[in-house]
Amino acid sequence: MKKDLVSIDDLALESILDYLDLAARVESMSGAEKASLLPGRILATLFFEPSTRTRLSFEAAMCRLGGRVIGFSEAANSSTAKGESFSDTIRTVEQYADIIAVRHPKEGTARLASEISRVPIINAGDGANQHPTQTLLDLYTIRKFFGRVDGLKIALVGDLKYSRTIHSLCRALLLFEGVSMTLVSPETLRLPKYLMKAAAAATATFRESDSLAAALRECDLVYMTRIQKERFPDLVDYEKVKDSYRLDARMLEGVPGHFKVLHPLPRVNEISPDVDSTPHAGYFEQARNGMIMRQAIILDLLDARPGRSAT
Amino acid sequence: MTPQNQILLIPKIERGFVIDHIPAGLGIQVMALIGRWPELEDAVVTLGLNYKSTRMGRKDMIKLQAGSLPPRLLQMLALVSPGVTIKHIDNFEVIEKVVIQVPELFDNLARCLNPNCITNAEPHVATRFRRVESGSRHFQCAHCERVCTLDELAGHIKV
Repeated sequence: MKKDLVSIDDLALESILDYLDLAARVESMSGAEKASLLPGRILATLFFEPSTRTRLSFEAAMCRLGGRVIGFSEAANSSTAKGESFSDTIRTVEQYADIIAVRHPKEGTARLASEISRVPIINAGDGANQHPTQTLLDLYTIRKFFGRVDGLKIALVGDLKYSRTIHSLCRALLLFEGVSMTLVSPETLRLPKYLMKAAAAATATFRESDSLAAALRECDLVYMTRIQKERFPDLVDYEKVKDSYRLDARMLEGVPGHFKVLHPLPRVNEISPDVDSTPHAGYFEQARNGMIMRQAIILDLLDARPGRSAT
Repeated sequence: MTPQNQILLIPKIERGFVIDHIPAGLGIQVMALIGRWPELEDAVVTLGLNYKSTRMGRKDMIKLQAGSLPPRLLQMLALVSPGVTIKHIDNFEVIEKVVIQVPELFDNLARCLNPNCITNAEPHVATRFRRVESGSRHFQCAHCERVCTLDELAGHIKV
């Protein structure tokens, strides 16, 4: 049966752990071994809105697996500009590709694509809804740095209200044992209540805090996000908080050696460049892990895991 | 008002259906739904509003002289007014009585409340709303995953 990756909510903990293990296995393989896994296979990357890391990491992932890539990087370069429906675009592209990664500004597009397409669909971001490959690569990065996810103390910082990355990551972290999340955000950008309530049924805990400095002392890692100016109805409010959660190297003095800073990128000014050269900066390795995790996802959905003959 | 007076106000029907226990105020909305079906165009319909009810305080009631009810109308009733009773009448007698329950899934009955949901951009796409959990009045769009209440969905019935 065809498999898709549309929503992190579709994955049980076992499936998430399976993806983490598969990514570790892929990472351990030589370049030549990887390049022999998907010869002749084609990935279509349909990006109806701009992206740097997600699109390029999908394309690099497929190329390094020996496959090829077709697609477009903005809606203006597709027949959408001529009025073609999203459904028709999917029905057309599935004739050419073995697997499709789709990013679209409208929510629900990846689910719709998965209903229409006979080839696997990967959700590379649907509006403000889901970005499951980001969540999986975040979890992979966390486990790589710490050897586990269970029991970690994680500070989530910045725009917790609107960030789909944060929402998906929270939902996934709730599946693990005893994760303690410290939520650091301006009052106006707090985590939605429905997510806070979800913790009641899990062993994870949430705690709200206004102080980034306190979170740095108490946690194992900090996951930073950009505070998005466009989310503020009143720009005076934005000016008040825009630099509230700016992390620099000086603030990291005294944190334990294992402490890590993660960020889905792009950053604006929430992480000072002087953090890059500290041993705590994990965000560029996180970006690299994106490619590895996407290789694992592509291999799984194409039923072409290493050691298994492709069908 | 005696029960006999009530019967005079909304007479018994020989054959058809009684939609009973409609919450007071929703009867006109249910009438509007019935009006969507061409096959019910010639049916004699009686609408009664604001009857006293021991169970509900006040209720509306509709009597419909028709051979059958379209299944999709029953699904819409489950969305707009769950808990209504449908009585099948033959020869002035109730031969079957069904209470309309909230289902686990609404299949292509309502539009998504999220204006940025793809189902609103491509209206030919069939919507689906799943109950978040048993007994809940919250439903989730199968596409954009937005959660809304039953009442909100009832306000977005597809034309």
